[in-house]
Amino acid sequence: MTGRQTRSTIGMLAPATGLIAIFVLVPMVLTIGLSFTQWSTQTGFETASFVGLANFTDLFGPTSIGRDFRAAFGNTAIYTALSVALILPLSVVLGLLVHQTFAPGGIVLRTVLFSTYMVPMIAVALVWSKLYSPTEGPINQMLGWVGIPPQTWLSSPKTALVSIVILNVWQQVGYFTVLAVAGLTQIPRSLYEAALVDGASAWMQFWRITLPLLRNTLLFSAVIAVINAVQVFEPVALITQGGPVNSTNVMTYHIRRVGIERAQGGLGSAMAVTLMLSLIVVIVILFALLRDRGEQR
Amino acid sequence: MSAMRPYRRYPTTWRWTLVSLLVLAIAVAAAFPLVWMVLSSLKTPEESMQVPPVWWPGSPNLNAYTEVAGVVSLGRSFVNSAFIALVTTVAIVVTSLMAGYAFAKYRFKGRDWLFAILIATMFLPPIVTLIPLYRLTGYLGLNANLLGVVVPNLANAFGIFLMRQYIKGVPDDLIDAARVDGASEFLILFKIVAPSVLPAIAALTLFAFVYHWNSYLWPLTVLQGNTDQYPIVISLSRLLSYNRGAMNTGLVMAGATLAVLPPVILFVFLQRFFVDSIVATGVKG
Repeated sequence: MTGRQTRSTIGMLAPATGLIAIFVLVPMVLTIGLSFTQWSTQTGFETASFVGLANFTDLFGPTSIGRDFRAAFGNTAIYTALSVALILPLSVVLGLLVHQTFAPGGIVLRTVLFSTYMVPMIAVALVWSKLYSPTEGPINQMLGWVGIPPQTWLSSPKTALVSIVILNVWQQVGYFTVLAVAGLTQIPRSLYEAALVDGASAWMQFWRITLPLLRNTLLFSAVIAVINAVQVFEPVALITQGGPVNSTNVMTYHIRRVGIERAQGGLGSAMAVTLMLSLIVVIVILFALLRDRGEQR
Repeated sequence: MSAMRPYRRYPTTWRWTLVSLLVLAIAVAAAFPLVWMVLSSLKTPEESMQVPPVWWPGSPNLNAYTEVAGVVSLGRSFVNSAFIALVTTVAIVVTSLMAGYAFAKYRFKGRDWLFAILIATMFLPPIVTLIPLYRLTGYLGLNANLLGVVVPNLANAFGIFLMRQYIKGVPDDLIDAARVDGASEFLILFKIVAPSVLPAIAALTLFAFVYHWNSYLWPLTVLQGNTDQYPIVISLSRLLSYNRGAMNTGLVMAGATLAVLPPVILFVFLQRFFVDSIVATGVKG
């Protein structure tokens, strides 16, 4: 490589790489290091004192630190599983409706679904907190029209977490629908034409052609949906503050409360490390389950 | 609606009716929360409190919009949000173009290795780095200040990835010809490469603007309660605690409507590029 080439390579890469190194990679390494220390977030890094695995034994121990953490971890796991279980099938169904040219309205549907993805989560949380209102909200009113009794939604520990899942799915499903449409456009038309010749029904075509060929798209969607789900924060911070009775205390909210508000930086970092390791495990499992192994085609 | 695809004549069968109605019903249901938000912002306080709820405002008025400005410093928050979103967006587009160009068109040692590390950061939830990042910006003297919101967000891996995908498609001949003419690499990037990846620039502009206009966790953390520097989304959250009763519903909805407008308007203009870019990064990536 000539000097000029080296200089321009460095010049082009330096701003983005430098910024990401300082503000993402360095904090990442620090999080791992701090997880083995006791450290107040309000003081400099030099005040951190090494405590070995003490933070981690606290997280999995019998004290209230462990109980609160495991509750938040469990809530996040349920929240993530529910979100993925709702988003993936919905994105395929909505994707088919957007993609089809049999009846009108596909593009309009895409625009509506996608515009919800542009709405700030804070506004989503505010609006849905009013929609869910047990007496003044339109959701219970509409349920009443079809004879379903009023639900407690955000005000009961049994239903609060699910209510937050629903509002989050509403906000995000448009993005995953567009991903599904992108996957659908990649499926060669000739496959369907051949299936028609063989007399396969639309139902058979969906299970034998569409779904198997969407495998990679669904894998990508599942990974993104999991990563998005562990980031849920605004509805919890704004409406429920983790309640009622800790039922909506999720990881992002809990880590911030411990690590920033209570300034227990070491403990919070240990929680962050545990979250990250769990995410890696989940993503590896998703790949193992869904990856196109090639032998089926 | 059929005007959108004039080449197609829709058959009027029961199946056609069924699918059309389904599409319509889902679109209406999906739009409902936003429609409710706008309608509620036009209601009187009495209408907001009524049980069962009133759907249509009897005498639509903009009182809530004038009142909301008196409760939180709305103008200031809007300026703060605009500053955050515009500065980060411009910086992200520029840094991503530069790095994307290097990754797409230069050969250098460790290229794929470096790229893989950068891409891995795309999948890192922000909470994982939040605690040390808060201390780092503290060291840099950026806490309780808008700059603290902006500075850590001037580059991101997604932008680099998107630009690399698009710049790969720019013909090498075009670049080599400019080099023969003696153009500098920066001139080539901004005069030749950038104009040929305008759809990617449009998509990244929308992604970055919407993300940073809507972002809540980091500004809330780094601003340390300095209300002067709050973006609109944090000011909105203060509206709710200002008065927890239903009296306040109109105000909250008016504030939410205003906060939603900039990203949604931008989306209406740039929607096409956004969708194309998702196809480019999601499937072919």
